[in-house]
Amino acid sequence: MTSTSQADASVAVDSVVTLHDVQVHYPVKEGLLQRVSGHVRAVDGVDLTIPRGQTLGLVGESGCGKTTLGRVVAGLVAPTGGELWFGLTADQHEHVNRIRAIAPGERSAEDQALWRQLEREHRLGSMTKERHREYRRNCQVVFQDSFASLNPRQLVRDIVGRPLRVHREASGSEVDARVVELLERVGLGAQHLLRYPHQFSGGQRQRISIARALALNPEFVILDEPTSALDVSVQAQILNLLVELQQDLGLTYLFITHDLGVVQHMADDIAVMYLGQIAEYGPTDQVFFDPLHPYSRILRDSNPSLEDEEVGERWELSGTVPNPINPPRGCRLHPRCPVATDLCGWSVTDALEHVETAAPAVFEHIDAVNRSTDFLAEVAMSDDASAALMAREINSSPAGVALTQPAISNGKVVSLTLRQVDDAELLPIRELRSSACLRTQQQGVLPSS
Amino acid sequence: MTEDWLLKVDDLGVQFHSPRGTSQAVDGVSFTMKPHETLALVGETGCGKSVTARSILRLVAQPPGEYSSGSVQLRNDDGSVTDILSAPERVVRNIRGNRVSMIFQDPGKALNPALTVGRQLAEVFGEHRLGMVLEKAGLPTSRPGGTLVKIAQQRAGWLSVRLFQLFRRDAARALKKAMDDEVASALADTGIANPRKIMGSYPHELSGGMKQRVMIAQALACDPDLLVADEPTTALDVTIQARILRLIHDLQQRRGTAILYITHDLSLVKEFADRVAVMYAGRIVEMGPSDQVLKSPQHPYTQGLLAAIPRADTPRGELEAIAGTVPQLVDAPPQCHFASRCAFAAQACHGHIPQPTVVSEGRLVSCFRFSRAEELDVSAEEMPQPAEAIGGGRR
Repeated sequence: MTSTSQADASVAVDSVVTLHDVQVHYPVKEGLLQRVSGHVRAVDGVDLTIPRGQTLGLVGESGCGKTTLGRVVAGLVAPTGGELWFGLTADQHEHVNRIRAIAPGERSAEDQALWRQLEREHRLGSMTKERHREYRRNCQVVFQDSFASLNPRQLVRDIVGRPLRVHREASGSEVDARVVELLERVGLGAQHLLRYPHQFSGGQRQRISIARALALNPEFVILDEPTSALDVSVQAQILNLLVELQQDLGLTYLFITHDLGVVQHMADDIAVMYLGQIAEYGPTDQVFFDPLHPYSRILRDSNPSLEDEEVGERWELSGTVPNPINPPRGCRLHPRCPVATDLCGWSVTDALEHVETAAPAVFEHIDAVNRSTDFLAEVAMSDDASAALMAREINSSPAGVALTQPAISNGKVVSLTLRQVDDAELLPIRELRSSACLRTQQQGVLPSS
Repeated sequence: MTEDWLLKVDDLGVQFHSPRGTSQAVDGVSFTMKPHETLALVGETGCGKSVTARSILRLVAQPPGEYSSGSVQLRNDDGSVTDILSAPERVVRNIRGNRVSMIFQDPGKALNPALTVGRQLAEVFGEHRLGMVLEKAGLPTSRPGGTLVKIAQQRAGWLSVRLFQLFRRDAARALKKAMDDEVASALADTGIANPRKIMGSYPHELSGGMKQRVMIAQALACDPDLLVADEPTTALDVTIQARILRLIHDLQQRRGTAILYITHDLSLVKEFADRVAVMYAGRIVEMGPSDQVLKSPQHPYTQGLLAAIPRADTPRGELEAIAGTVPQLVDAPPQCHFASRCAFAAQACHGHIPQPTVVSEGRLVSCFRFSRAEELDVSAEEMPQPAEAIGGGRR
């Protein structure tokens, strides 16, 4: 087995889109010469398979990279690393996984030819021009903000008819007939043909966006928070419409949202994202009732619900979102996790960040930090007394549990040795379920607090 | 307190004039709030909930707005009553921030981007707690309008601040220390771990949740009797939302503040409000204890709103959406505004304005299904089908 758990779990599935280790890193430029000083890891190693005919929900908080991932899938953002395959059958999927596992130099001539052929036909970035055009037509997007995504100076007939003209599907009066057909499909009508977007309410504008997305009979639609700008009563109308369209046209959806109630209602499977990575993947109901990652449980517990269910203890997220330029080692959630232990990847940075907020006076006395690795460092302080205080602060910090021996001040220097932990990966826990929680991977169940 | 109400909004009407006509954004809204109580005002976009909230502090811009009817009465500690809508500006200014304060929806827009957080909070103390700050700094409080007072109020110019620091160094230091202590303790109260560091930051340097905490610290700085929270968590993520709501709740428990909580999210109401008022098109359509209203909604709109929220057991694609859209309120006819979307609507609903009817202890519903034909002076056939006795829940 390769490390790509989720790809493995669904090997025998016809997929619309398959992502392998996809990364989107944005360079951070600094100074006069605009030297690159680091990368914002918006999406950092995502494996995901979107099975045909289903709805995959992608949930996460703002800034977790879910919209960027959606844009990568739509072909609007080029990934800086990884592979993106489109329309692989189950057999082709197996070939891709098999050949990828072989180092490029050791592949047989047959495999090489097959790989090249697969790339030409299915891999985004290596596709032929015609295949890419086909991909573009098959994969459509409905954006969150229907104000911004509809051109205010175009009539509905031009907005919805444009994809038809671009792809030469229709011309002249044919376009109008097709547009009316599409508008009726989404609950509008011929009377709306000659109006501008501002003449519609939010729900109606979202219907126009959906009509435009459906113009070319796509098989895959990316819904990027399609209802978060709408009121609940209108949201219900749009969600019903989306389900109806899916059933009639056999669409596949990637449903990106931060609203757990909506995703629970709409999605067959969900992927929970945190800080550029997928924390948990599995069938929606199972993820809700028996989460296998602390973050999924926190999201569920934080979501206000009208139902009188007793969830028992509510888990909460502490602190703030870490810097995506330099994400935490080990499990990315551990500095904020209610059930973190020494296994979870506490690093020198975590320890120092704790000191900075808990004891700013001590933090100011740091002269230098010499890191051998992320887990091994010597902190030079300006005097002996503050070094002793520093050692005490670090021992009592949450990162203290991961110290292999207590931090002791030796003169002005405090040495830290923390338990070395590999970065967490999404691994299968049981059938259909995968989680990136290091403790869950060890125990097979979500750790209790 | 002899009487048990803090705020009484009576028949409040707010109009907005535009070239297209006059729209009645708030139309005869009445409610009463007790001290320490949490009332949630729930409704969809454009139902007038924010305008109602702003009216309580007289913050609706005039023109284009106009208070067309009613009163907003605030009960003072000595038992007297101030009508906020007709009081002189000086009195209202003193009430704002001091007795009634407000948290706005978008903390990014409501904080001044050009001032540090510490300075913004200092303004509140300078305006409303001047005497206390000067006393703590050991400075004389007797000369209003002097340089010292101006500096404490953060209103002095750059030059006078510099001269003051130069010639009265001790006083300047004492004042700064007293002010910083107050600001830091207000920030620490909202769970900010390192208030001294945050005080020196500008709003853009803080995360959304942190900015909302600063807003809450600012709003609660003077221990107001009433806090108007206008969608305080709409711009935040769910995990942050849970923490902010918990914080507001804890602070309320500790200080006994009454909260008027404006939201579009009915699911938040269950946990955080004692009573709920549902608004539609400028009117309150249903009001009552929140658990009762959520369990057995009586007004067709409340029923529709609750059914539209996706639940775990709703079959996919079978959400009960409310048909149609919110009507235009520009020169609206005198009728039940929900009639055009209502499944029960009958002829009587289109010619009369429904009045709040008491259907059980503490519950009001504005719907003709709870009225009798004689009251409206119409024949029985024109009335909608009467509602069953209260207690019959949804579904």
